[in-house]
Amino acid sequence: MPKAGTEEASDLDPSARGVAKAAPQQPARTRFRRRNRRLKRWFPYLLVAPAVIYLMLITLYPGVFAITQSFYKVKFGPWRPIGFANYARLLGDYQFLGALWNTFLIGSISLALQCVIALTLAFHTYRDPWIRGWRIVFLVPMLFMPSAVAFLYKLAFLDARVFSDILIRLGLIEHNLAIQSSTWLSRAVLILADVWQWTPFLFIIFVAALQGQDEEVEEAARLDGASWFQIFWNISLPMMRPVIVVALTLRAIDITTMFANVFIITKGGPAFGTETISYFIYRTGFRSFDFGYASAASVVMLILTVIVAQTVVKRAFVSARS
Amino acid sequence: MARIELRNIQRKWGEFWGVRDVNLAIEDREFLVLLGPSGCGKTTTMRMIAGLEEPTEGEIVMDGEVVNGVDARDRDVAMVFQGYALYPNMTVYENIRFPLRMRRIPPSEHDARVRRAAEMVELSEFLDRKPAALSGGQRQRAALARAIVREPYVFLMDEPLSNLDAKLRQQMRVQIKYIQRKLQITTVYVTHDQIEAMTLADRIVVMKAGAIQQIGTPDQIYHDPANTFVAGFIGSPPMNLVAGRLEGGTFSAEGIRVDGLPDRLGGDVVIGIRPEDCTVADEGHLSAEVFGLEPTGDVTYLTLRAGDKLIEVKADRSYRVPLGSGATVAFDPARIYLFDAATGERLR
Ligand SMILES: Nc1ncnc2c1ncn2[C@@H]1O[C@H](COP(=O)(O)OP(=O)(O)OP(=O)(O)O)[C@@H](O)[C@H]1O
Ligand SMILES: [Mg+2]
Repeated sequence: MPKAGTEEASDLDPSARGVAKAAPQQPARTRFRRRNRRLKRWFPYLLVAPAVIYLMLITLYPGVFAITQSFYKVKFGPWRPIGFANYARLLGDYQFLGALWNTFLIGSISLALQCVIALTLAFHTYRDPWIRGWRIVFLVPMLFMPSAVAFLYKLAFLDARVFSDILIRLGLIEHNLAIQSSTWLSRAVLILADVWQWTPFLFIIFVAALQGQDEEVEEAARLDGASWFQIFWNISLPMMRPVIVVALTLRAIDITTMFANVFIITKGGPAFGTETISYFIYRTGFRSFDFGYASAASVVMLILTVIVAQTVVKRAFVSARS
Repeated sequence: MARIELRNIQRKWGEFWGVRDVNLAIEDREFLVLLGPSGCGKTTTMRMIAGLEEPTEGEIVMDGEVVNGVDARDRDVAMVFQGYALYPNMTVYENIRFPLRMRRIPPSEHDARVRRAAEMVELSEFLDRKPAALSGGQRQRAALARAIVREPYVFLMDEPLSNLDAKLRQQMRVQIKYIQRKLQITTVYVTHDQIEAMTLADRIVVMKAGAIQQIGTPDQIYHDPANTFVAGFIGSPPMNLVAGRLEGGTFSAEGIRVDGLPDRLGGDVVIGIRPEDCTVADEGHLSAEVFGLEPTGDVTYLTLRAGDKLIEVKADRSYRVPLGSGATVAFDPARIYLFDAATGERLR
């Protein structure tokens, strides 16, 4: 029996103590109601059971399936066990490594940009009387369907060349920008789309954190001679650290699995220059139909994500009392 | 020079008056204490001086210059907040040092100054702690140290000692007074505690419901209260106030009869007599039942019940009498105050 309930256990089952002693006296009836202990112990599990079972069905099963599959050669027909061959192949696959690099590059630049922009906006608006209005305005991009945003950017920067057109009319450039044939410009479009759509998410979280800050502390800092920026830098930002880390981690996980934008805007081109891990997995699995190999790639990705998220979050939460 | 004037200051929230008609001149180097019951507008007044709150009407003048609209940061005041307002992410040391950093005081001086301030409030052992790991009283002292670490134009202290034990409170009182005298900085100090008010103040401002009741030196406030509110607020236990009738120089109420009062006054009045101006005697102005007896060591508080009124008397420390028996008390006739029953104003 778990030790949490040694005292309770003795009531239910005197032998549990392993001592040849009379069962302890049932306490005299008091005005305190004693609840059924067995029920009390299991009730919480009962409550979460449906959710856990549901989650297991939709996440655990595919997860286990993918891990299993990653040790096989699966190309239609029967599965052929090949041990770690898929993983070994990944290590030497420059397309996979390139995809890793692209994901990291696009992800970190995009994340850094949206974090800075969101913090800047939040800092300037959180004590603004019109903050409700600002929140709604800044929220709009987030409400768009991701694929719609992707098509919007595809139109504006690639197909319809709206962006090039504007620059030409402004006299800044002479010819159409060859975005599609430039790796960096293509990446820039992906980054821009992501920043545009997801900065609001961070903005809203940051504003909420800043609004929760004790106003009197800000006033004290004001009297001590701090400028608004100094208050933000010396007090708000350190206090927001856990919030920032959690928000960025959520965002990072999301960006690592970036797919829709790549699929719609660049298709991973030019020459795999914007191919992300998700797109690589998709291409391997559903274009080359190399399912085992694709599964191995997803497993590697999963492990990397978990490790990064764990270390980052753990480091961010240092107790306020230390 | 630091002379602060409040001219016709009002602060309204909707229809609610937090502060009304405050006219006050705080002299250079003066130690001014704001005294009044909870919610009477002391903090609000202080926040308006600091620039954290704008008066709805009226002018705040510092050294002859109207400072309404001048940002709190540019008024150069140091304030101890009632709720401490320490920076939660910084240690006590960093908290105390923050104003030095922000006010561009040469870094070479920081360490010595921080340590000196911490020592004054007896917080030297806790410099490495964060506010969350301090007791209420320690936090309060950290807030105090953060205010006294630099030399501002004016000190604003909002109940800076409210959370300390009696001994520390007495020590801190002495420290605050010493710092204020040494640095010669104009100080506005809010408190509920009369002893603090009496011992620290050059002048006391008694407030009630946002309005000033009386401004005066501690002696004036104690010996010469302007109305029943001030009389009943100052002193511990406070002044006994008994309503009755005054006719031909004789005051009478249930169980009480006092002769020899000025006979030019008359009608419904309230008389006030401080517990310390009463003596237990064989013959006196008041004979009543003993309702309570509280020996405190150096003095015995005797409570008498006259009609539905309780009268406090400061008796000799060895005075003992059984509850329910009778006692007779004489008043010092020179120290009886008369107030108008309707307005509460002092009758002279
Ligand atoms: N922001 C506000 N909005 C509305 N009313 C307020 C506001 N701030 C203060 N008040 C009211 O103004 C009155 C004076 O408040 P203040 O804080 O100045 O009291 P105080 O004298 O400092 O009391 P205490 O001794 O309890 O600290 C109170 O009745 C309070 O409810
Ligand atoms: Mg207050």
